[in-house]
Amino acid sequence: MTEKDVIIIGGGAAGLAAALACRERGIKDILIIERNAYLGGILHQCIHDGFGLEKFNASLTGPEYAQRYIDLVMSKKIPYLLDSMVLDLNAKKEILVTNRQGLHHYHAKVIILAMGCRERTRGAIAIPGTRPAGIYTAGVAQELINLKNYMIGRKVVILGSGDIGMIMARRLMLEGAEVLLVAEKLPYSSGLPRNINQCLYDFDIPLLLNHTVIDIKGNGRISEVALAEIGKRGGIIKKSKRKIPCDTLLLSVGLIPENELSRQAGVILNPITGGPEVDERGQTNISGIFACGNVLQVHDIVDNVSLEAEYITEGIIDYLQGQLKKHQAIQIILSNGLRYVVPQKILTLKDTIFSFRVNQPGKKKTLLFEENNTLIHKTFFSRVNPAEMLRVKLSSEELENIKRLTVRLV
Amino acid sequence: MNRKFVCIICPNSCQLKVEYEDKTIKKIIGAQCPKGEAFVKNEITNPLRVFVGSVKVTNGNFKLVSVKTPNPIPKKYLKHIGKITHSLEIAAPVAIGQTIASNLLNEKIDLVATRKVRKKNLSIKK
Repeated sequence: MTEKDVIIIGGGAAGLAAALACRERGIKDILIIERNAYLGGILHQCIHDGFGLEKFNASLTGPEYAQRYIDLVMSKKIPYLLDSMVLDLNAKKEILVTNRQGLHHYHAKVIILAMGCRERTRGAIAIPGTRPAGIYTAGVAQELINLKNYMIGRKVVILGSGDIGMIMARRLMLEGAEVLLVAEKLPYSSGLPRNINQCLYDFDIPLLLNHTVIDIKGNGRISEVALAEIGKRGGIIKKSKRKIPCDTLLLSVGLIPENELSRQAGVILNPITGGPEVDERGQTNISGIFACGNVLQVHDIVDNVSLEAEYITEGIIDYLQGQLKKHQAIQIILSNGLRYVVPQKILTLKDTIFSFRVNQPGKKKTLLFEENNTLIHKTFFSRVNPAEMLRVKLSSEELENIKRLTVRLV
Repeated sequence: MNRKFVCIICPNSCQLKVEYEDKTIKKIIGAQCPKGEAFVKNEITNPLRVFVGSVKVTNGNFKLVSVKTPNPIPKKYLKHIGKITHSLEIAAPVAIGQTIASNLLNEKIDLVATRKVRKKNLSIKK
């Protein structure tokens, strides 16, 4: 059993930023464990630009954003394992890792969960039909095209208007394929408005809201999908059913935090975020196990992943120095208009950043923090969108002497 | 003329209401920063986009190097440049920022690498 101060599971955007922040705050004994052959995670396949506007004040591509962090990790000589898979994590913070050199046992004072997320598949949304080739999740298509140099198809239908799906629509058009349409079952897109414009409208790709794929046909390779409109009550309008010949179907229907290891360790997960329930600095119910990035909550902007990883480090330092005392417990209660809030509880009085997602798009909304109908804090948003995470900071003064904090959107 | 735009410069995706005549902007509502005005100006005269794509690498630890135009280029050239990238090839190692192609379409369009690619390690790992 090898002892470490901090072990970070996952060497993507969250893991790299967490490692650097820990080192900058004086923690020497750090290990990053990465299952891929390189650091940087999903950023390597996100070759589009628009990353780093907040962190670096520049519009970088994914690989460039990753390299900035990789270079820093290298220059600080932070140890990492590549091609190494964590098989087990338990509540005693013991880790079992496998790689070419064999099995390794580690124990750490602090574990940072930074495993990211994965995509929802056809099985998860249960589209009926045959099971031909040519059906990909958008991220897999992105990996094949941008990293592996495989072209995935020529006539493409995309189901789901998540950001990766829309970005792949543009990518496929630039690679010479034809993207016939993007279907979204909700009445609004689940991606950022800028991507609807620069990825779909720039290439005259129609975005069909309230539409979904209800059947898949094909022997060997997919040959057609059936598309239908969704009525006001959520059912399918049968008359609207039409056949779309195609050779590829991309699914961009949501992301799921990858928490198998967290579950093995006994970390309590939140059913809405799919990530661990955490306190104000990302600590889970198991003391010394922290979480950040997409494994905690799915982010839409990588800069926020890096910022979140840096933000939780303060709690890690306090924990290692034995200063993480419970001064006061604040229960956070979610009310109207919001899908979730992170953190779910506050244990130590600190300036706290809350992350939210709203239930539906809206204009001129105010986020209210209240205790027993007494206003504690409010923030105005000219526009809200479920695709965009909202972040609001409350000061420790505002949080003082509060027991139950109710949050709602009006 | 009145038209709505969504600014694509940053994830804020500002929704802009623009009043303009010919190519002169009279009024912009909704821009949270000055970049919005510059964006609209380009949109009504010559829309610009950054091209991103990838180019084949030989002997690299990645099969492809991702590339971009260092500056936004006229939107109408995006597909041309996409086609051109299919015929390009570069040998590893490649550094970030390295020029992969220059003066494409005789329009001073360059492509630079956005990923570091090392030479493939041919020795067998222990």
